[in-house]
Amino acid sequence: MRIMLNGQSVAIPEEMADEPLLFVLRDHFALNGPRFGCGVGSCGACTVLVDGAATRACGISAEAVDGAEIVTLEGLVRGETLHPVQQAWIAESVPQCGYCQNGQIMTAVALLNATPAAHEAEIAAAMDDVLCRCGTHTRIAKAIRTAQTAMKEASQ
Amino acid sequence: MSPLSRRTILKALGWSATGIAVVAGGGCALPVIPPRNEPTTEDAAAWISLRPEGHFEIYSPRAEMGQGIVAGLRLVAAEELGVGPEQVRAVYPDTALVPLCRATVGSDSMKVYGPLMARAAAALALAIRRQAAARLDADPAAARLGADGVMVEGQPTLPYAALASHPAILVGEDELAAASPQSLTAEGSRQVIGTALPTDGIRAIVTGNGPLYADDIRLPGMLFGSMLRSDGIDGTLAAIDDSACRELPGYAGLVQGDGFAGILAERRGMLTRALAALRMQDNFAADLSSDTLAARIDIDVALAKGTLEHVLTDDGALGADGFDIDLRLDVPLAAHASIEPRTAVARFADGGGLEVWTATQDAFYVRKRLAREFGLSEDEVVVHGMRIGGGFGGRTLVAAELDAARLAKASGRPVKVQWSRRDEFRAGFHRQPSSHRIRAAADAEGRITRWWHAFRAGHVIFTSAAMGPGLQFATSFIADPGTARGALPPYAAGASRVEFEDVRLPVPTGPWRGLGAGPNCWAVETAVDALARRHGFDPVAFRLANMAEGHPRLAAVLRQAAAMAGWDRADKRDDGTALGVACGIYKEMSYAAAVARVAQTDNGPRVTKLWCAQDCGLVVNPDQVRAQIEGNLTWGIGMALYEELTVEDGRILGDSFFDYAMPRYAQVPEMEIALIEGAAEPSGAGETAIVCAAAVTNALAAIDGAPVTRLPAAV
Repeated sequence: MRIMLNGQSVAIPEEMADEPLLFVLRDHFALNGPRFGCGVGSCGACTVLVDGAATRACGISAEAVDGAEIVTLEGLVRGETLHPVQQAWIAESVPQCGYCQNGQIMTAVALLNATPAAHEAEIAAAMDDVLCRCGTHTRIAKAIRTAQTAMKEASQ
Repeated sequence: MSPLSRRTILKALGWSATGIAVVAGGGCALPVIPPRNEPTTEDAAAWISLRPEGHFEIYSPRAEMGQGIVAGLRLVAAEELGVGPEQVRAVYPDTALVPLCRATVGSDSMKVYGPLMARAAAALALAIRRQAAARLDADPAAARLGADGVMVEGQPTLPYAALASHPAILVGEDELAAASPQSLTAEGSRQVIGTALPTDGIRAIVTGNGPLYADDIRLPGMLFGSMLRSDGIDGTLAAIDDSACRELPGYAGLVQGDGFAGILAERRGMLTRALAALRMQDNFAADLSSDTLAARIDIDVALAKGTLEHVLTDDGALGADGFDIDLRLDVPLAAHASIEPRTAVARFADGGGLEVWTATQDAFYVRKRLAREFGLSEDEVVVHGMRIGGGFGGRTLVAAELDAARLAKASGRPVKVQWSRRDEFRAGFHRQPSSHRIRAAADAEGRITRWWHAFRAGHVIFTSAAMGPGLQFATSFIADPGTARGALPPYAAGASRVEFEDVRLPVPTGPWRGLGAGPNCWAVETAVDALARRHGFDPVAFRLANMAEGHPRLAAVLRQAAAMAGWDRADKRDDGTALGVACGIYKEMSYAAAVARVAQTDNGPRVTKLWCAQDCGLVVNPDQVRAQIEGNLTWGIGMALYEELTVEDGRILGDSFFDYAMPRYAQVPEMEIALIEGAAEPSGAGETAIVCAAAVTNALAAIDGAPVTRLPAAV
């Protein structure tokens, strides 16, 4: 069983095949991006991209993503250059405690990849199920718009 | 059947018997009290140094949980040193590095620790000038610190890396005495203080690069563990059968000790599976519910019996009747619901010492508690404070740290314990429920003539979540200051009485964002609004007219928030929307006022805009003060409209966030925030702006024509 993890083909140990993808990523591949918040997909802190779609890694088994392309928060970085969404998160100083921000960023990346010009209602629909307890929602909204502008400029 | 024979029989059936009273924090014969020492300048000397690599390093005496204190302390140090904040790096509270310090609570970190950090940094600057001057054969007074190093006119800049040899340059006693920090004084000129600096570690947060939280600690040979707990409140585990777990690969066994039981596995996935396969019998009283809990704090039952236990103020004759308003107000149990569950990693060294990585607001309390538990000296226990994934008062007690250490001791291997969401709801502690009766009257000129606020609530500081029966008894006659916080109104009345009772509840309660201030300010601001409306007075003007002497800063933020919201121009009753206002003083140091615009929709009330003005004195980091206010405004929305932890059949309900409503993206509106610097020194942003809860419900009251008397309002 293999996956493309952040651009590299890696093997998932057989004995972890039926365990949640989140535990494989955190404990076997020692990735810090996806985080455990609830274990049942109710908060979104563990979100990763599976073939481009924002997916809650706590609720999907490793074998269910066999052959898929997985991108985690770490995989958004190109060399020293952060993804426009990550840059926007810093520019708008989004995080307070920071624990949920993996889910916020990965969900926003998936949204903007699929719908670069997403309007407010589409953004709200995508972000509404990703919980933040500190109250960074208004900054998330600003950062998504900042990232949209940057991504649009970069594509022109 | 005697307990012994019952145990024997269970054992014969494959059950291993136990008898576990599950109390958060565990039951020790002698109480362990958190350290309460105030920091000194001598402590501060140990907080900062110039490293041989050429950067400055602070050992933060304060935990970072998103409140931004580490960025703030870096700004203060940078200001005194004359360098950029990026040249000052921070190490989080670590009991092996930082002098003994009290918990990161009370919202006064910048007020108390800021000036000390300034002095320590100024002293370090002095030490560096002296060393550089000696090196350059110059007068120390002629040496100046800059971004690149120490400068003396006519000589090339001496880089910091060239200056600091091994060991680092530290602060000495004479420099500490001679230093004259300027950055937080009225006279000080400021370069970096007052500029915006994002939270410390933001790059690691947005890239996943680097261990930040306790769950990012992975040790060789580490097991994953979970404590076993009764599902019920104050319940006991009667028996545990793990025979089905033993078939599972990676299962590392059941551990039982004095007052606890837990299981271990080689991997997290196996632990989850083992927990599902485990059979447990537990005993708890099934009669406890949200209703029976409410009955225990029913204010009217207590008032019918006479006066309450603690009187906060009693001034003038209230009389018995003829009040203009007579409100019964109720606030339920609520959760911290930090997205990071309590998590700790523990490792015993071969020599017997213990090392723990954890997200705690009180690293030294954890050290003390663990030292007592395992018969170690405090020096033999090291607690590494990690970034906290949401504190809000919830990380003030010892929880997952003790779980992990007990399981590590029993297994002889390092152990990580991460609480499940169910553990968080069942075994954590929560916002105290409260029940209020407020009677008040005003005269025709709009002056408050009488104010009588009586309330009953669960404990906050003297909570059963933190103390055993002995201490509970010892404190039973003392007014719980956490429960009382925020109950005294900022308004003057001809006659006033504020009294309360702290009630020992079977549900563990404790510090929750602002302690009593959230619920008490909500009650006060609901009542004063209702009193104004009852007489047809404008709620803003009525507050200003009745504000007690000595609160000009509160009046200023109230005027500012009202002006920002266009309060005087607003048609408050167009198309089902209205404005509501509230204001309050937090810990007699910070002031906030909020205006909420609320719409009544088919899907219930919706906050559509918030305005807030806050005065917490000199603002060190406007970006993080604003973030703190945004957090409080969001919690105000949650408190007002959504949040309640339900108790049913003897259990606190909730297995996931699906079961606990809190503000979501689309429920948090645009916020307009103004910072007023009404004092020359910083006082701490605090949990001041949570008064916004009453602004939200007062807007609903304006729509509905009747005050909101029970939270949450959107249920």
